[in-house]
Amino acid sequence: MSIMSITSSHSSTPLASRSLARRVFDRAVASPGFRVGAAIFLALMLATALYPELSAIDPTKMDVKARLLPPLFTGTNWNWGHPLGTDQIGRDMLVRSLVGLRYSFLIGMASVIVMLIVGCALGTVAGYFGGRTDAVIMRLTDAQLSIPMIILAIAVLGVSRPTIPAIVLVLGMSNWPVYARMMRSIVMTERQREFVRAAKIGGSTDLRIIVTLLLPLLLPSVLFSSVLDVARMMIFESTLGFLGLGVQPPTPTFGNIIADGRKYLLNAWWIATMPGLFLGLTLTSINLMGAALERARDTVHAGGE
Amino acid sequence: MFTLNFLIRRLTQGVVIIGLVSLLIFTLLRVVPGDPVRLMAGGMAPEALIEKIAKDMGLRDPIIVQFGRYMGSVLQGDLGQSFVRPANGAATGGANFNDTTRGERAKVLTLILEALPMTLQLAAVTLAIALLFSAVVGIAGGLNPGGWPDKLAFYISSVFISLPNFWLGIVLTLLLSVKLGWLPAIGYNGFAYTILPAVVLAVEMSPVLIRTLVGAVSSQMTEPYVSVGRVRGLGRTRIIANHVMRNASVPLLNLLGIQFSSLLGGVIIVEYIFDYPGLGLLTINAVLQRDFPLIQGIAIVTSAIFVVINIIVDLVATTIDPRLDY
Repeated sequence: MSIMSITSSHSSTPLASRSLARRVFDRAVASPGFRVGAAIFLALMLATALYPELSAIDPTKMDVKARLLPPLFTGTNWNWGHPLGTDQIGRDMLVRSLVGLRYSFLIGMASVIVMLIVGCALGTVAGYFGGRTDAVIMRLTDAQLSIPMIILAIAVLGVSRPTIPAIVLVLGMSNWPVYARMMRSIVMTERQREFVRAAKIGGSTDLRIIVTLLLPLLLPSVLFSSVLDVARMMIFESTLGFLGLGVQPPTPTFGNIIADGRKYLLNAWWIATMPGLFLGLTLTSINLMGAALERARDTVHAGGE
Repeated sequence: MFTLNFLIRRLTQGVVIIGLVSLLIFTLLRVVPGDPVRLMAGGMAPEALIEKIAKDMGLRDPIIVQFGRYMGSVLQGDLGQSFVRPANGAATGGANFNDTTRGERAKVLTLILEALPMTLQLAAVTLAIALLFSAVVGIAGGLNPGGWPDKLAFYISSVFISLPNFWLGIVLTLLLSVKLGWLPAIGYNGFAYTILPAVVLAVEMSPVLIRTLVGAVSSQMTEPYVSVGRVRGLGRTRIIANHVMRNASVPLLNLLGIQFSSLLGGVIIVEYIFDYPGLGLLTINAVLQRDFPLIQGIAIVTSAIFVVINIIVDLVATTIDPRLDY
């Protein structure tokens, strides 16, 4: 951080030539919060990608002889083969948590992509064209924001089989109004700027202006906020899993492991708590990075650095 | 006069929003698969009977006709009767279709009015805990931007926002109720049963409050009126308590209005975990039982509360800061 700012204050030419998004990113990377988050995140991702294959433990394989083993250094009969212990039918908790993390993360990413596409498209259209289009889209977002999405999610997933695409779609539909509003407000201010008017006079179509001029300029700042939403969607996904409306067993996900372990809370506390610890750690790392990015964006856009 | 204009305008907008919400929920419930009559009549009921009941209840008419009829009775203050719940409170889930002991079905409005005070109590305790905690952490952070209280606030909010509420509920139950025996957890049997669910909800709510407070307080501290206050000889405490806090509370208020629906989402999960007999538990059961009138009623009542809260928030915000336009 200090080295960065010293060098950049001495030579302002490379600074100005760097794009806004790049500057935000560099600034965020320099903050300790982002580094802590990134380190935890990378370690977890590495473990998630490699450990289930390397250890060759099947997350759904039962082993009744090794059931209800406690995690390392707790209780009496822990062993190195199962660092986080085993559940009521002897499945390894570490592998199950890591496989759950895979599903959770992929579903979180996919649903954020869905909500970005829907939200940004509607928000851009509303902000760019204004008038009646704007009014209709905005009333729609108001209505959606006033219903807790969990009700809709339960209503839809409770009856149609909760497959992964259905879950991604429901999660993606839950938060698009936020992006629609964000995109609308920045498109509204940008469309009155000279470069847009110049392009219009030059004969560019609306579509061309939106796709080639506005989106590349505005998307990065929206993307920085969407990092936080990955974490939010992962929580949402595990909540659905907890209610039995997420990815169905035997596939392990945080939600269904915790819901399952809740029944054994008194004699095997680790089944319900360990996966949550994993989820919490992952989410903390994502949130630290996301918050650092948002902070950096706000300072850079406010003319700081 | 301006206030009256504002109220009329916002209330009309609110009615439009409530109408849209009910239409949305109404259509969605009927479009997704899952026949409520099958659940009401029981699995063994013959197909012809199902069709007959459905026809009698008007569930086979076009959706728009059903919606018109429903809104007609809602305007007269009648939210209809629950499909599943009887008035005497017994469960009818597995009862036979020709069971004569099945009594009168419960009125949706009564069910909601019974559950609402419980949830309001939970919400009030949650809000008190969340505001107190966020005020301490957030104001300290905002007064020392870049210092350790600021960093502490940043890390606390990052960690708190990462704790899934259902997991936190389980862990706190394990620690505080099972291991230490300090607080009761499951069901409702007196005020003490509100505390644990409220703590879980407050943890979920406070990160956003803390971040907003830190931002608002630190930006207010750079305003000219703070230096002027110092020149006028006001003490630091007085400047902060009387002037900075007043201005910093406006964004906080707006946030509370927006946060309402996510708070309600949290309430549903938390009430489900703790088996707390409020609106959230009612909602989740209604949805799982495909109790259409109850779901619709809850949606209308909650969106009405949402509208009213946002109007109150705007009114209070203009009283605090008269520069704000209605």
